[in-house]
Amino acid sequence: MIREAVLTDLQKIVGKENVLNTPEGLKAYSYDGTTSWQHEPDVVVFPKTAGEISEILKLANKEKIPVTPRGGGTNVSGGSVPMLGGIVLVTTKMNNILKIDKENLSATVEAGVVLQDLTLKLAKDGLFFPPDPQSFLGATMGGIIAENAGGPACVKYGVTKQYILGIEAVLPTGEIVNLGGRTLKNVVGYDLLHIFISSEGTLGVVTKAELKLRPLPPAKKTIMAVYADVAVAGESVYRVLENGVIPDKIELLDNWVINRIEEMAPMGLPKDADAVLLFECDGIPETVEKETEKIVEIVKKYGASDVRVAKDQAEADKYWMARKAGFAAVFGKAPTVLSEDVTVPRGNIPALIKKIKEIAKKYNVESCVLGHAGDGNLHPSVLTDMKNKEHYERSIKAIDEIIESAVELGGVLSGEHGIGLEKQKFFNRVTNPVVVNLMKGVKNLFDPNNIMNPGKIWD
Amino acid sequence: MEDLKELKKIEKYADQCMKCGFCSFFCPVYQEEKVETAVARGKNYLVRQALKGEQKFTPEMGNIIGKCLLCKRCVANCPAKTQIDRVVVGARAQMVKNKGLGFIKNFAFRKVMSNRKAFGRYVKMAKAFQWMMPTTEGKIRHLPDFLKALGAGRNIPTLADKFLRDVVQRVNKPKNGKAPVMRVGFFSGCAMDFIFPEIALKMIDVLTNHGVEVVVPEEQNCCGAAIYFSGDFETGRMLAEKNIEAFKDFDYVVTGCGTCSSTLKDYQKYLPDTEDQQKRYEAFEKKVKDSTEFLIDVLKINPEEFKLKKEFVGKTATWHDPCHLVRYQNIKEQPRAILKALKGLNYVEMPNADMCCGMGGSFSVYHYDLSKKIALKKMDGIKTTGADIVVTACPGCMINLIDNVLQNKMPQKVHHYLELIE
Repeated sequence: MIREAVLTDLQKIVGKENVLNTPEGLKAYSYDGTTSWQHEPDVVVFPKTAGEISEILKLANKEKIPVTPRGGGTNVSGGSVPMLGGIVLVTTKMNNILKIDKENLSATVEAGVVLQDLTLKLAKDGLFFPPDPQSFLGATMGGIIAENAGGPACVKYGVTKQYILGIEAVLPTGEIVNLGGRTLKNVVGYDLLHIFISSEGTLGVVTKAELKLRPLPPAKKTIMAVYADVAVAGESVYRVLENGVIPDKIELLDNWVINRIEEMAPMGLPKDADAVLLFECDGIPETVEKETEKIVEIVKKYGASDVRVAKDQAEADKYWMARKAGFAAVFGKAPTVLSEDVTVPRGNIPALIKKIKEIAKKYNVESCVLGHAGDGNLHPSVLTDMKNKEHYERSIKAIDEIIESAVELGGVLSGEHGIGLEKQKFFNRVTNPVVVNLMKGVKNLFDPNNIMNPGKIWD
Repeated sequence: MEDLKELKKIEKYADQCMKCGFCSFFCPVYQEEKVETAVARGKNYLVRQALKGEQKFTPEMGNIIGKCLLCKRCVANCPAKTQIDRVVVGARAQMVKNKGLGFIKNFAFRKVMSNRKAFGRYVKMAKAFQWMMPTTEGKIRHLPDFLKALGAGRNIPTLADKFLRDVVQRVNKPKNGKAPVMRVGFFSGCAMDFIFPEIALKMIDVLTNHGVEVVVPEEQNCCGAAIYFSGDFETGRMLAEKNIEAFKDFDYVVTGCGTCSSTLKDYQKYLPDTEDQQKRYEAFEKKVKDSTEFLIDVLKINPEEFKLKKEFVGKTATWHDPCHLVRYQNIKEQPRAILKALKGLNYVEMPNADMCCGMGGSFSVYHYDLSKKIALKKMDGIKTTGADIVVTACPGCMINLIDNVLQNKMPQKVHHYLELIE
């Protein structure tokens, strides 16, 4: 429990109206987007400036109170659950888009800006921020940076770290620092910026960011390829890329997902297909046309049973709606869904999909796969019910084995969600102890009293 | 352990939520407050805790589940199809069940609003004293809330000199003297009765012009929106029974108020306690039509047949979707079809046409400042259209839009779509 005096100090820093400690409020800040993790903080604060955050962290550092930073709380790794109580520091009230710089293709934003708000604003200037995590409707820029978020468009554009030029951050000891800068090139000493990106809130609090933007591509085209075997679909992914076409998205839906979508909102997807791949090409119209032709040619050659090119935006929207509905289809179908975030080298996608099927069979659980096949980042999911203890435990075992298989296939524990609490048990197992110690050393340097988001990653 | 009968009914909806947080983008309240207790996910989580016995119905819990417009924007966009409107209303019902209504609501719902004659008498009384104090919409639909909104600088339309009930004919035959193509019951609703009787008369006019016989049963009562959305299911059920009885002789029940049509249709969703009620309320739902869908979908009138009133010729109009039409009843295209077909009227779509105006029934009385902030976004949308008039089909929205247009010193006039038709 937090002392009364600390509460009073927090109220002095951010104002009484920005400190929340009602039992109901604490419950509402005890969770994130994960299923199984929750813990109540002792107090929730809503700072509005880096200066306020600095004061909060100085106080917490002096009193050795854990601080869990949090934006929209859409993350699915447990990263913003305050496992040790203490302070939840919420950035949602720091939500100003400070500058859009068309000349330099950059923007300056506060940490609490929601990605979709930014996307809508940038579109008016013909610009976009390429990372597109599927939580874009609620995720804040601070969280996106802290988790180094990805999304479907990463095949062509890369992940968050490639689009952050610099940040302003507050260190656990209260200093306000600027890491990186505003230029595209920057080799001034160690690259502390990129240590901070993907640090999952354990090194400090991002307060502001300088983003790298791109002009919105003038043309887009969507292709749906149908497969009788999900593993063949997996092969098509790298065949397309090795033949010199880089679409901005390559998404995969398996038979289970296709059928749930058709039950929910029939849109004419091939129900017998074992899988479909959705490709999107973007760029200048002539290039997009050529790339589309090339993709059709390659997927036909490598085993697609049917290929459809969306004739207009309406048809394309229909396919992408199906992809989005896939998410709903999975989560609406079972009381509890364990959805994973593993990434393998693209060539191993077919092997991983086969493995997932075997594992599901072995544990007698229903499973499905959808994901960003283009970068090898799959979200295999197992459907279960937390209230059915026996089934739930079996499902956990299946999911664990899926993760282990991905690692055996040369993959990584997480493509875009981070370690947080969800992947801790694997982290120490698969990470070289020397590397773990280096990471701990970095943490200790930034945060000597271990107040920033303690209990995460390796703990 | 507290009785949780009402919560148990909505448990399956609450369990749908997977805590993704997408609702935050669509929630007008969260967009202003940026606090987790404001958004569907937070409310849903607390209700689930209550179901587990880990959260009591504290006054703070009451504040939290009270602070929802029930605009259903989150529901329409929820990937997991969580029906948070049912969860919130169910939680309010449970709270009323366990803690009672409180003196003021008890008096308003059970002694005034649930008795048509008494309601009329009280509103007339209010009318007599209207000159004394700044009037508010609150005193019409939520008499006791009136006091809370005093001094907030709110603009409200004055009460009508003569209520609809005093001037309307019980039976209105088709104008052409021919046998009626259809006989429908007209549901007036409080706002049409006490504030906008001329719109109700206009609607009867439009319907009789198209060969429909319109009957206005005296036995009809308040639709119950404010009552059962506040969790008073007991009074809500009583009103449902009275209204179903009052309209038992008609194939259709038609109303010009988006909230009324939606509320009558949704008796089956919120109120049934027995299978028999479920069946009867569902049968009633099928009879209820909002005037927009009745004209276009049932009577199948070609929108081109509607003539624009002279005073609106050359004006630019934009449409505001009432939540109770666009999301509760999926009525979106019908009113637009009418407006677009009116020759001489220039129609412009506003950005965020489907976003709540901030009214939310008594929400705007309890949270007037917040309501104004939400309305500000609506006003921004209206401004970008350059429209002269904002058109809608819900008196509740009209009242709130009028207030906010005035508050923001905007030139637009607010109209019910029926007012535009010759």
